[in-house]
Amino acid sequence: MIFNLNPNGGVPLYRQIAQQLRGRIVSGQIASGEQIPSARELSTQLKVNPLTIQKVYQILEHEGLVETRRGLGTFVVEGAKNNSAKEKLALLHPSIHQLISEAIPLGIDAETLTQEIERHFKHSKLSQHRERKS
Amino acid sequence: MNAIECSHVTRNYGSQKALEDFSLSLPPGSIYGFLGRNASGKTTLIRMLIGLMWPDQGEIQVLGKNPRDFSVEDRQKIGYLSEKQILPPALKIGQLVDFCRPLYPKWDDSLIQRLSDRFSLDPKKKIKELSNGQQRQVGFMLALAPKPDLLILDEPASTLDVVARREFLDEILELIREENRTVLFSTHILSDVERIADRVGILKEGKLVINESLDSLKENVKQIRFTSRDGSAPKIELPNTYRTKRDRQELLITARVDHPDQIQSIATNAGCNYEILSLNLEDLFVEISSKNI
Repeated sequence: MIFNLNPNGGVPLYRQIAQQLRGRIVSGQIASGEQIPSARELSTQLKVNPLTIQKVYQILEHEGLVETRRGLGTFVVEGAKNNSAKEKLALLHPSIHQLISEAIPLGIDAETLTQEIERHFKHSKLSQHRERKS
Repeated sequence: MNAIECSHVTRNYGSQKALEDFSLSLPPGSIYGFLGRNASGKTTLIRMLIGLMWPDQGEIQVLGKNPRDFSVEDRQKIGYLSEKQILPPALKIGQLVDFCRPLYPKWDDSLIQRLSDRFSLDPKKKIKELSNGQQRQVGFMLALAPKPDLLILDEPASTLDVVARREFLDEILELIREENRTVLFSTHILSDVERIADRVGILKEGKLVINESLDSLKENVKQIRFTSRDGSAPKIELPNTYRTKRDRQELLITARVDHPDQIQSIATNAGCNYEILSLNLEDLFVEISSKNI
C-alpha cells in the first residue's frame, strides 16, 4: 500500500491515513477478509508514531470496517464494501467542507447550493451512465 | 508511573524568570515535542530534568525519582544530548565509543554499528576532523546506544542535513517501538515534530501555554476569518484567543474553537461572513508564540 501523506498540513496525520485506508476498503481495493498490515508494520513503513496508527485502527474498527483477531492480526470485515454507505459519504466530507467554505464568503445559502448540485448531477455524464447501467 | 512529572516548577536567574509555574505529566511511550522561541525556558527545564540544576519552587520526578536523588543506576536509564555538546576533540570516534560502553549495562553495539553505517561515520576519524553535523551524529549515537528508558534531546537536529534528520527520526521511532520508552525533544524544526511527536508543548516566556496531543491541537485551534458584509470593521471577540490581526473589513483570529456552531451565531450577530481555516504546526506555533500586533 502506498500512502500519500502530508505531515506538514493542517489535517492531522491519523485522519489522512484513516481516510486513505477507508477509501481502499469501501472501494473494494482491499478485499473483504483480507489482512492489513499490523500497526507496528505500518508505522515502520510510513515512519510515523505507532500511536497514530493505533488510533487509525481503532477508528476503522469502530466504523465496522476492520476487526482485530487476537493473535492473528487485523482484517477487513466481511461485507465491509457493501455495508459502508456512511463511510462512502464520509469520503466526500473534505470536498463538501471545501465547497461550503467557498460558498459562504460568496453569500450563497444552503438551498441555492443544493439546487446547484442537483442541476449539475442531472447534467453529469457520469450519473447518466450509472442510471442506464442499473 | 509517569516518565516525567513536574508540578508547579519555577526557576529564576536572579530577578529574571526563566520558568514559571510549569506543570507537565508525560506518560511512558510518548514522543514529546518541546517547542518555544529562543530564551523561552526550554533548556532550563531540560537541565532540571536531568539534575544539572534545581527548581526554586515546585517538584520534579523523572522515572519516579527526584533528580536530586539520582543514583548511578537512575542516570544510566536516561539518555541526554545537550544543546551545546562538547566531545573530546583528540579522541577517535571508536575510542569514544570504547570509553562510554562500560558505563552502561544495556549498551547496544549493534546500534553503534547500524548508525555508523547510516551516517557514514568512520570510527578511525578523530572528533576534531568531523563537521558540526557529524559531531552531532556521534553525540546522538552515544545518547541512544545505552538503550535509555527516557531520552532527552536538546535541539538534536539543528545542524543535521535533511537526509541525516530523517535517519535520526527513524531511530527515535525505532527506540519507541521497543517497550515503553519515552522521548522528549526540543527543536525549532517543526516538520520533525509533526512527523513523529504524539504530544507537543509550547513554552512562551517561561509558561507552558500549550500541552496536548498534536492531533487535538490541529483539530481545535483554528484561524477564523471574519469579513463584514457592509465594509465596516468587524467587532468580534472570541474566548481563548491566541492572536488577533485586523485589516479594514477583515478580522483574523486564532483561537481554540470548541463549538464551530458558536462561531456561526457570533458571525451572524455581527453581520459578518466567516471562514474557519486549519493551520499546520508551524503556523500554529507562530500564531501562539507571537506577540499581538
